[in-house]
Amino acid sequence: MKKKLLAVTLALAMAFGMAACGGDPGKTGSGSADQGSAGNDAGGEDGADAGDMGEDADASASGTEASQPAAGDGEILIGCLQDITGSTSALGISVQTGAQDAVDEINASGGVNGKTLVMKTYDTKGDVTEAVNAYITAVTVDNVSIIVGPPVANIANAIKETSEDYDVPVMGLAMDPACQLKEDGTAYKNMFCFQPNANTQGDIMASFAVKNGLKTFGVLYNQENSYSVSLLNPFLDTLKDQGITVDESLIVAYGAADTDYKTLLQPIVSAGVDAIYCPNYTQQLVAICTAASELGFKGKIINGLDAAPPFNTTFGGDCSNIYYINNIDVNDEKTSEMVAKIEDKVSAVNKYFLGYDIVMVAKACIEKAGLEDADALRDTIANVKDFEGLTGKITMDPASHMPAGMGMFMYTYDNQTPVMLEEYAGN
Amino acid sequence: MSLQIILNGIATGSVYALIATGFALIFNVLKFSNFSHGATMTACAFISYFLVADKGLGLFPTLLAAGAAGAVVALFGEFVGFRRILKNHSSATYFFVSSITLGTLYEGLVTIRVGSNFFNFPSFFNNPTIGIGSLVISTTDVMMFVISVAVLLVLAFVIQNTRLGRALRAVSFDRDTAQLMGINSTRMIQSAFVISGVLAGIAGVFLGIKYTLYPSLGSLVVKGFIASVIGGLGSLPGAIAGAFLLGILETILLSLLGSGYSTIATFAIMLLFLLVRPQGIAGSNVQEKA
Repeated sequence: MKKKLLAVTLALAMAFGMAACGGDPGKTGSGSADQGSAGNDAGGEDGADAGDMGEDADASASGTEASQPAAGDGEILIGCLQDITGSTSALGISVQTGAQDAVDEINASGGVNGKTLVMKTYDTKGDVTEAVNAYITAVTVDNVSIIVGPPVANIANAIKETSEDYDVPVMGLAMDPACQLKEDGTAYKNMFCFQPNANTQGDIMASFAVKNGLKTFGVLYNQENSYSVSLLNPFLDTLKDQGITVDESLIVAYGAADTDYKTLLQPIVSAGVDAIYCPNYTQQLVAICTAASELGFKGKIINGLDAAPPFNTTFGGDCSNIYYINNIDVNDEKTSEMVAKIEDKVSAVNKYFLGYDIVMVAKACIEKAGLEDADALRDTIANVKDFEGLTGKITMDPASHMPAGMGMFMYTYDNQTPVMLEEYAGN
Repeated sequence: MSLQIILNGIATGSVYALIATGFALIFNVLKFSNFSHGATMTACAFISYFLVADKGLGLFPTLLAAGAAGAVVALFGEFVGFRRILKNHSSATYFFVSSITLGTLYEGLVTIRVGSNFFNFPSFFNNPTIGIGSLVISTTDVMMFVISVAVLLVLAFVIQNTRLGRALRAVSFDRDTAQLMGINSTRMIQSAFVISGVLAGIAGVFLGIKYTLYPSLGSLVVKGFIASVIGGLGSLPGAIAGAFLLGILETILLSLLGSGYSTIATFAIMLLFLLVRPQGIAGSNVQEKA
């Protein structure tokens, strides 16, 4: 009896311990778990914030679960295919929240062609198989009209071929041109990207580096990740155009199984380079920047979008040597006002803006082309021109299904505070 | 070969040693590979993160919380997963199945609570590096090495010089005979799980600090398993030697061959080693139950 009592006590102690570990998980971690609830509650508790932006959050329009009923009469159902869990969930949840706020704002001002927008979120879990299954469910079971796509190239790459079999546009954010373009250079009919592609972003980061007097570079990139790979050559090509060639031995690739970033960085740090170029996702960036710091690296680290917040809070230390590219200008009055309203509920503010913009573009396109003719809708999306979004003026290139000439901004941190340095025009 | 690379390898090996020792301890006593050890590491690392590290309470409270959590989780595992199998003298396969099931259960619980997201332990040191001449040594690596060695020395002392250690060794040789000699075998098995759990907790925190904290972090237990096999299954000194060898070998190969080939080469060398010396470094290959 005594032993049984001890066993039950131990079991309860363990259950209590596990329960305790759920307390405010996102507070100082990636923040994404916490934002998970924020994102999923976008139409409920966060409706107060949404209301401040002229939104009237409607619970029925905030569907984020697979059990959410499909659109009824008088409703337009759009899908939101995002990493709601997984290592890139902070990004997916932020896109979802921005998209949901746009949906709520649209519904508050009368909807689209008199119909209410309903958004249903599908969690890809950062897994390509899950993503393909979710995509097929969205287009065949739920019959969504448009999908707000993920900011993750691997996921977009996974669904691009499947998307050819259907007539549902995927308005996404995967910057790898291969997500939008086939090998013959023509565009996948349903795949669209609404932020500057990897060529533009790599070019901007390299131009910034050269302009700021950096001459020697090392590169650490993930050879198994489309996003990371797509940002490699544009950066190196621009450096080459500026007369800088990066030593082959200092271009170091790693894979998903690698965790020893210190050993991988060792030759780069030993070479005493001015900067390390790290186009990687946030989780890897945190580990890489920690490893660089532990190797005594004093130079600069140039990163892609994933070094934008919440990288700083997740990393936890001084980020003053971190430089990154971003979609938004926090010095812009309208942008900064919106940032102030949303920064408590999303961690990746730039992704929120991108999600918001996509839904607003979708609204404009549906209003113009309707939903009856899929070709007309796709054609309208491909020919969006001078759309004033929160992330800038969006003009799509109909041949590539990616924005043309859209600029971006280079940032650094003052310890942990983001500091906008310069705007760069897109190429 | 850069001394820096060797130091990186030693630091990595010291964490592997903690994993391997906890793994080997249970193997030594119960003669099965406890694959729930990895998920125990993860659970303890998360528990300590949310209870202590997140509140900025420092490294040692974090390690203490992790160790304590490890002891509780491991005791729970022993009771739920293995006690009845032991008492019933059930087929050895059940130990294996039970350990896999427990590991999946722990990882599932962690994933439910935190999602599949990653977290980062706060920095425990103001200066991330220590400079010795031209060498730059990571403060975190030094800390991990020192604590790992200290913990392993304490463990060695306990195993070799205390009544508990002697009783544990007796049970590991022959549980039934030890019982007849007046040793409470069940209590000794519980003790082995507690020690293994404490080691898992500390190793979990170290892995979290090194690689960030995520629900599948425990998959790194495979490194401990490999180190145990290299060292000689069931041998604690062998596991430690195997862990350091594995850590150093990995970093050297990664440095020489780069990503991809280094993993293949590491496992190829391990296979070759086992082909030549299947009993491991210590030469005490205990027959596994399952």
